[in-house]
Amino acid sequence: MSETSAKPVEGERKVFMTGNEAVCWAALAAGAEIMYGYPITPQNEIMHYWTRNVPKFGRRFLQTEDELSAGFTTIGGVLAGRRAFTATAGPGNVLMQEPLSMAEAMRIPVVVVIQQRGGPSTATVIYSQQEVTLTCFGGNGEGLRIVYSTSSLQELYDYTIKAFNTAWKYRFPTFVLADGYQAKMRESLNIYDPAARGIEMVPTEPFLGRPGKIGEGREAAHLRNTYNIEEELAEVLERDIADYERVAPEIVEHDSFNTGDCDLLVVAHGIVFRSAAMAVRDMAGQGKKIGFFRPITLRPFPEEQFRAAAAKAKTLLVAESAYGQLLKIVQQNLYGSTVPIRTLLKPGVGITPEEITDECSAILAGKGA
Amino acid sequence: MGRAVKIAMAGEGGQGVQSVAQILMDAAILEGKEALYIPNFGVEQRGGVTIAFLQIGDEKIGAPKFKIGDIVMALSDRAVRRTQMYVGPQTLFVYDSGIQGVEGDLPKNAKRVLAIPALETANKKLNPRVFNILIMGAVIGATGVVTVDNARQAIEKRLAYKFEQAPELRELNFKALQEGVNLVAGMGVS
Repeated sequence: MSETSAKPVEGERKVFMTGNEAVCWAALAAGAEIMYGYPITPQNEIMHYWTRNVPKFGRRFLQTEDELSAGFTTIGGVLAGRRAFTATAGPGNVLMQEPLSMAEAMRIPVVVVIQQRGGPSTATVIYSQQEVTLTCFGGNGEGLRIVYSTSSLQELYDYTIKAFNTAWKYRFPTFVLADGYQAKMRESLNIYDPAARGIEMVPTEPFLGRPGKIGEGREAAHLRNTYNIEEELAEVLERDIADYERVAPEIVEHDSFNTGDCDLLVVAHGIVFRSAAMAVRDMAGQGKKIGFFRPITLRPFPEEQFRAAAAKAKTLLVAESAYGQLLKIVQQNLYGSTVPIRTLLKPGVGITPEEITDECSAILAGKGA
Repeated sequence: MGRAVKIAMAGEGGQGVQSVAQILMDAAILEGKEALYIPNFGVEQRGGVTIAFLQIGDEKIGAPKFKIGDIVMALSDRAVRRTQMYVGPQTLFVYDSGIQGVEGDLPKNAKRVLAIPALETANKKLNPRVFNILIMGAVIGATGVVTVDNARQAIEKRLAYKFEQAPELRELNFKALQEGVNLVAGMGVS
């Protein structure tokens, strides 16, 4: 993989592009060296834009035979010390869970962009927020993953760059969780060279084939995902879980508004958060005591900040384009709290600001169940 | 919060509603406005009704899709039926007067329903190829979301490669744009 002198993005500039294009430019700007992938709507154009730019900037691309292989080859790229990533959606995300479980087991810093579509199975190629559980907790493990849920194309760009640094710093698989709307829509954003904003990229290093002689210059690389006895596995998991819990407070991110003593606190993530923010700000402007809490990291979840906000609210409203996937996380993180939780759950379909306003108005007026 | 103008354009694949939405978005950008465009897309590769959702405003746009449009434009019989769901009491519903057999399917809850002879005008006065640009003119005439001048510049930008090969296309496109504006201007729409 040749180093090229030309930077894909110089300085900073405002552009109008689709989310898939934004992911591609962010990965280029972050110095990603190789993408592995298998086509699936609505993430296809990430691969298209990437392959178009590969020759210009000395990067590489491998189209695999399926998502299982795309996940495993991404692991291979990382083992060789490359800043590698893949992207998928829906049934592809399901297939990819086997390699992603392995990445989790071996602490391999793969970066995965998920453009959620409707499920289960092939369902729609359009949009949903139904891959929250799968992305956070998929696989036969404990969900030792980092999941950023973006709500705009600016965030898609920012967090794709950030994902590479989070992954390589903490050595947990890191996900950028967006959706078909963010993939396909066009809006304004600023693209930039990370260095121009003082963002340093965390250096990568090979896991295998390191320089030096085993036993002399260095220890042997001991990468395992197979264990002979239960206690051996438990020891590794306890260590990884302790690591995860220790770094979680540094990783968690959230956004909130008007959380002090509100009658209603709206909880939403991703693109639905945009509708929630519009509705809440509008209603707060009309004097209603209403706020929002938006987790940016779904894994690890900003538990402490959320509990503090929820403690000052009379009622919560959880809104999502899924039938209770964010809700489950919310309930788990609120254990012991008695604040009533209302819901606006629309699996596989978008939620407009008007719908959230109507629901909030009904709750504030004391209507409904 | 400045309210964005919400535009839904629907037609048969090949009628050019998606390219029109993109040119309109380019024009909005030239005007220094914020815009968000998203096509509807499904598993069908061809043969479906295609819808472009476009919002133009002074501030960053909120949600990408909307329930009710300010202007909903339908360019085929199927599109007339398919777009009912985006029509509300604030909606200006525009359809092509050449579409047959949809009288019973026109929305009853729109603020106003407007039939414009877009296809006929394109075919008889101009060229069927510029039908989409004529439609774009009609949207601009009805909403004033962008100026005709910026629309011309946006057309120029996107079709420059075509104009290079056939310069007469430039005038044809600009004429179509103006015809579109005129079509609705005569209908008492601001």
